[in-house]
Amino acid sequence: MSQLHFFADPQWIIPNVIAPFIFTAVALMFFQNVSGSLALYAVLGGGMMGMWGNTLYGAGFALGFDRWNGTLEYVLATPSRLVWIVAGRSASSAVLGLVNAIAILCIAVFGYRAELGIANPVLFLLALVLTLASLSSLGVLFSSSFLLTRSASVMTNGLEMPIYVASGSMFPIALLPFWSHPFSWSLGPTWGIEAMRYAAYGDLDLGFWIDILVVFASTIIYLAIGFWLFGIVERKVRRDATLVEY
Amino acid sequence: MPEKPEKAIVARDLRRIYRSSKGVFRKKHEIVEAVKGISFEVEFGELFGLLGPNGAGKTTTIKMLTTLLTPTSGAAKVLGFDVAKDVIDIRRRIGIIFGGERGLYYRVSGRENLRYFADLYGVPVSKRDKRITDLLDLVGLSDRADTKVEGYSRGMKQRLHIAKGLINDPDVIFMDEPTIGLDPEAARETRAMIKGLVEKGKTILLTTHYMFEADELCSRIAVISNGKIVALDSPSELKKFVKDITVIEVEAFGLANTDLDVLRRQADVTNVSAELEGERQIVRIQTPRGSEFIPTVTKLLSRAKIVDIRTKEPTLEDAYLKLVA
Repeated sequence: MSQLHFFADPQWIIPNVIAPFIFTAVALMFFQNVSGSLALYAVLGGGMMGMWGNTLYGAGFALGFDRWNGTLEYVLATPSRLVWIVAGRSASSAVLGLVNAIAILCIAVFGYRAELGIANPVLFLLALVLTLASLSSLGVLFSSSFLLTRSASVMTNGLEMPIYVASGSMFPIALLPFWSHPFSWSLGPTWGIEAMRYAAYGDLDLGFWIDILVVFASTIIYLAIGFWLFGIVERKVRRDATLVEY
Repeated sequence: MPEKPEKAIVARDLRRIYRSSKGVFRKKHEIVEAVKGISFEVEFGELFGLLGPNGAGKTTTIKMLTTLLTPTSGAAKVLGFDVAKDVIDIRRRIGIIFGGERGLYYRVSGRENLRYFADLYGVPVSKRDKRITDLLDLVGLSDRADTKVEGYSRGMKQRLHIAKGLINDPDVIFMDEPTIGLDPEAARETRAMIKGLVEKGKTILLTTHYMFEADELCSRIAVISNGKIVALDSPSELKKFVKDITVIEVEAFGLANTDLDVLRRQADVTNVSAELEGERQIVRIQTPRGSEFIPTVTKLLSRAKIVDIRTKEPTLEDAYLKLVA
């Protein structure tokens, strides 16, 4: 339903398709004489950005919209726990983001003649699925705070770019200042995108499996914290009567 | 469900305080007691009304009973479940119909709205589509079911709200001003629909501003004013609050607020209310002196052009105005 509403409003195309496409196109133009790993890096980064942009929409902007639209009270008044509704929206948005990633891949291959070889498609797919789960769980984690504020859409915008940068979607985190690395390492998608690159390059040593383990563990941790926070936040909005403020 | 409770709804000394703050550095805190310890009971199959002016605490009461707000103190049970603790059990069994334009997904169809809420209420897929079709028939939206809600009129949106509130086949239905903003015909259809629900055995708690609506629909009414219940009885018993009073109704042009103040200051006047119908003003004066007070009224309103003046039997509205005054 949320997705139907999403597609009925054409403005979703700008942050979720056009922006990641432009970033990818610029990166590919930089690397147009470079084949293989760097081109793949740009394409994966662009796809990742599309998926995160969509996830943030599903988890955050949709909640802000529900509040503004007066549907949040009705949704909360149903016996379905809001955290499951948000988790569903997050997951479906992340999967829809995959469509963006595939579109970017096609444009890179057919438009820019980028040579993208994936050495181990099965493990690449495993890393991709886990990264999608990680993005969704990160959406659930953040969305509890979206329920507390009337400015969910502002927070959504504010969370978009930091995750692009810190997860290494735009450029390698090695280029970031050292003090920011702990934040990057705390993000499951950072490990997920690294695992996808390992699988694509065929570097399937211990590093790949550590990445897989971390992305899986961080997903569980994000979900656990997200569910716990939602319980607290739902009680708080019932106590403080902030649900109808918009 | 706990053992079959005796009452559908029980509220005991229910209170709700809102706390708000303004400013960043020098925060000013404000405390408003919206509901000040109200108690009432609603029987199974009853249509119970909550009547009161804006800000009286009607909507806050409904929100506490529907688990959207936690009571600050006191207790309430719906179908035997505690509104503070058994949140999910209550939500499964109640329907909520709030008035107004908001609360629907505009960019999708009415049927899709209902399907979404059916899923959120856990309506089995095997029953879902038939129930949606039946509800769309009930509210008269079958022919527009697949049109986007943004193209609906105000009345159609309200009818969709009603269908949405019934999607889980609730035992208790909470309606907050269900006919507000509807044209007379749509409001009459909605009232007929509400009567039909009661005939089917549903328990309904309804808030409304419209006295005739409360009079027509409700078996009992709680008049709520400034967060407290000031009277609770059947419409006919409530009217007895004004049995010793005659209402003088004046239709006039050019009345000023000062004229009304003069009337209010008269020892024999218990209440004065005025409303504007186009350029014409209609003033209702409650007095125990009956028609013998008409010359005094005519004299006091001599600056205005009086079109008609007559005595009327007191209505529920007069009882209400006396109670909330």
